Amino acid sequence: MSSLLDVRDLVVVYNTPRGTVLALDGVSVGLNAGETLGIVGESGSGKSTLGLAIGRLMPQNAYRLSGDLVVNGHSVFKGDDENLRILRRDALGFIFQNPMAALDPTMRVGRQLTRAVGRRAAPEKVFSLLSSVGLTETERVFHSFPHELSGGMAQRVAIAIAIARRPQLIVADEPTASLDAWLRDQVLELLLSMCRATGAALVLLSHDLHMVSRHCRHVAVMYGGRIVEYGERETVFHRQAHPYTRALLRAAPGAEGPHGRLNPIRGVPPILMERSTCCAFASRCDWAVNQCLDERPEARWLDERSVICHRAETLLAGASGT
Amino acid sequence: MTLLVRGPLSELLDFVRRDRLSGAGAILLATLVLLCLFGPWLPLGDPEEIGIGPRLSVPASGWLLGTDELGRSVLPRIVDGLRSTFLLAGTAVVLTGLFGTLIGLVAAYAGGFVDMTIMRLVDILFAFPPLLLGILIAAALGPGGTSAILAIALITLPLFVRVVRAVALSVAARSYVIAAEVSGAGFLRVILVHLLPNVLGAVIIQLTYALSIGMLVESELSFLGLGVQPPDASLGSLLRLGSVYLTIAPWLVFPAGLLLATAILSVNLLGDGLRDMIDPLRGRPLR
Amino acid sequence: MRVVRFVLFRLSVALLTLFGVSIIVFAAIRFVPGGFEDVVLGPFGTPETREAVRAKYGLDRPHLEQYVLWLGATTKGDFGTSLTTGQPVAAEIIRRAPATIQLALMSTLLAIVVGVPLGVASGVTSTNRVARAAGRLVGALGASVPTFVLGTVFVFVFSVWSLGVTVGGYVPFFEDPLANIRAMTLPVVTLSVFGMALIQRTTRDSVLNVTSETHITAAVARGERPPDIIRGHVLRNASIPIVTVTTVFLAYLLGGAVIVEQMYSVPGIAVYVVQSVENRDYLVVQAGVLLAATFFVSINILADAIYALIDPRIGGQRRDS
Repeated sequence: MSSLLDVRDLVVVYNTPRGTVLALDGVSVGLNAGETLGIVGESGSGKSTLGLAIGRLMPQNAYRLSGDLVVNGHSVFKGDDENLRILRRDALGFIFQNPMAALDPTMRVGRQLTRAVGRRAAPEKVFSLLSSVGLTETERVFHSFPHELSGGMAQRVAIAIAIARRPQLIVADEPTASLDAWLRDQVLELLLSMCRATGAALVLLSHDLHMVSRHCRHVAVMYGGRIVEYGERETVFHRQAHPYTRALLRAAPGAEGPHGRLNPIRGVPPILMERSTCCAFASRCDWAVNQCLDERPEARWLDERSVICHRAETLLAGASGT
Repeated sequence: MTLLVRGPLSELLDFVRRDRLSGAGAILLATLVLLCLFGPWLPLGDPEEIGIGPRLSVPASGWLLGTDELGRSVLPRIVDGLRSTFLLAGTAVVLTGLFGTLIGLVAAYAGGFVDMTIMRLVDILFAFPPLLLGILIAAALGPGGTSAILAIALITLPLFVRVVRAVALSVAARSYVIAAEVSGAGFLRVILVHLLPNVLGAVIIQLTYALSIGMLVESELSFLGLGVQPPDASLGSLLRLGSVYLTIAPWLVFPAGLLLATAILSVNLLGDGLRDMIDPLRGRPLR
Repeated sequence: MRVVRFVLFRLSVALLTLFGVSIIVFAAIRFVPGGFEDVVLGPFGTPETREAVRAKYGLDRPHLEQYVLWLGATTKGDFGTSLTTGQPVAAEIIRRAPATIQLALMSTLLAIVVGVPLGVASGVTSTNRVARAAGRLVGALGASVPTFVLGTVFVFVFSVWSLGVTVGGYVPFFEDPLANIRAMTLPVVTLSVFGMALIQRTTRDSVLNVTSETHITAAVARGERPPDIIRGHVLRNASIPIVTVTTVFLAYLLGGAVIVEQMYSVPGIAVYVVQSVENRDYLVVQAGVLLAATFFVSINILADAIYALIDPRIGGQRRDS
């Protein structure tokens, strides 16, 4: 199977009035056609930047310092603008957190969909797209402005737009975070079934490790602009080798047990001005030793997953002991 | 300006370095203001002395920008004129800045009937086309500096009230303002301590724009003979008198026009820079 | 319907505004220093003649009654009689209207036609440092040169070299269209430069605001062509501030016309009003200001209707600008 997405040691920084801020600190990850990858992290972990980087969609003040990102054999950073545009149009689909903001407020839904399908798209094609994402009153939706739709309907429209040209890779950044709780599973199920039906691979960005491990075969945990743990979901979810992954699971509501208390991760995520010379999580980590403050951990292969932690062995031993 | 910059001098230098265009505007404006302040002590010549040279003489060593129809040196006269323009527009804008901010804050915080009444009154003021309001005032009160100041103040007032009110409304809903109210802070205290600091940025931006509008309106009124009256002169009235001799003595007109445009440009560039600093606009590339 | 309801609401606010304007205009003229009778009689009025004038113009009646009478006459188009020519003010104004209307229309059109593309260009190229600075400098320059300074430069240059246009020499359009255009070119250009700059600056800022929105990122992500994104998604979303600033320019234009009409001897309303200030012909000033304010308020209602047409979300509530 050929690799569809290949991120190689990507470093991306933002220029801000207060100096440069490191958003991606050497990220390497890959994805094969038709597979699903969940990327989990707090806000500020770099996951949204990684998601945008897949289409080179970062804002104006972001730029790549080193590394590369290749989709389908084409580098998004090194190719020319026109090739990248074709790649975005035909091979990539993006779904944003707030569907209302992602639709043009002054253009009717039908026209936006038609533009996404292609200049001379037949209306029947657009209507069948609308019904394929589970919308019933297709006629009304077609003639509506975005603000006349509910959040759930708007996200369904956004999914329809993303799959309109049958892309090979869909990137969805917190696609259900702005929706009512009872709608989330429904919309997520729809997204996954559309990916299965069209054979598209999916990169799902979320802060919810439980949700991601339910739906994605591979899971990557991001912290401080790096992927600190990556592997198949069973491995990462059940035998965490990184203290941050463990803390994420324990901090999630529902993990506290009867009469238990939530276990929030103490401290705040770092804002990196340059590549860290130590472990970026050390100051918040219960397992940290002097080595974590002195030496930058590098990615290692350990027990069927890639992990960036000096203490991973100890963690795994402790976990299997209990 | 020191109100919004931390470590005033270093941030100011940083501002000039980062945004060359606005930095150039700031330096230009400072130079012109200093020129006006210290003009009387500079060896420019006496603006009032008649017959310092021949009538309508071309620029020469004793009168660097030529002489007018009474043989007065043009250079000190246009420096004097710029001072009047700055003074009239500046006075008016400071007045409106004060009153406009206060009215805007009261409207936003009091809300309800008070807010509605204030905004309808502002609408009425805003309905007068700028220069025509000046003309009406000049007609009613007689032409002169006071009329010009009043006109500029009334023309720029809606600008402040609307902007300050809009910003204050967004701030007033924030939790710490509500917390202050709950803990018993009075009307005045909430306005001055909690709302005012938050609208200052917007006020400073509006001040620069109002100053540039004020200078335009003042010079236009003076050009029409409805601003400052002789023997006082502003750049507008100098241009009015000079344009009679446009083809035979263009030096009466062009230095004054150039100085006026430069002064307004410096204010506009500074205003753009300040706005960029306080409320940066970032588009995205479409590629 | 949404648009109609919205416009009706704004119409009622506008009527209220005009009512306020009429009070101010009435008061400003009624209470000039020396009183109205001085204006009519000059310094030679005796107590008897002054009393006669007061009675003739109804100045001896209560202010409220005077205002009601005046407003009643004004709404019927009767602005009184010019004190200098003895002609009805309304007739004098109608006679001068075509020149001013032509000037205003052409200047606004030119300002939009030049300003909007310039603004869009400087908005979408703002990621380039040089283009960004150039766009800002052009906008600031245009907004900084007073109309009469620009006009003076033009008069000087084109008096020496004609280059196909004339300085002054206004001819009504329907008498000789070609001569009319030759005479109107300079006034129109002089007046519209400020508007071009105003519109360019606003368009640029508005385009920057819109392109930072998520739906533009989404359009880029769908692989739409940049020109298609500009035409399809940027322009319409960016156009509300552009409409607003065009109305602001129209207000400015009514004043700027005074200067341009005077410089290029265009026999329009604006210059007539200013001359009337000098002649203390107050009824003309009153009528002129009132007409200008009415025009401006009507333009704003038109703008409100356009807002509602541009943005389907607008209706009922006031815009916040």
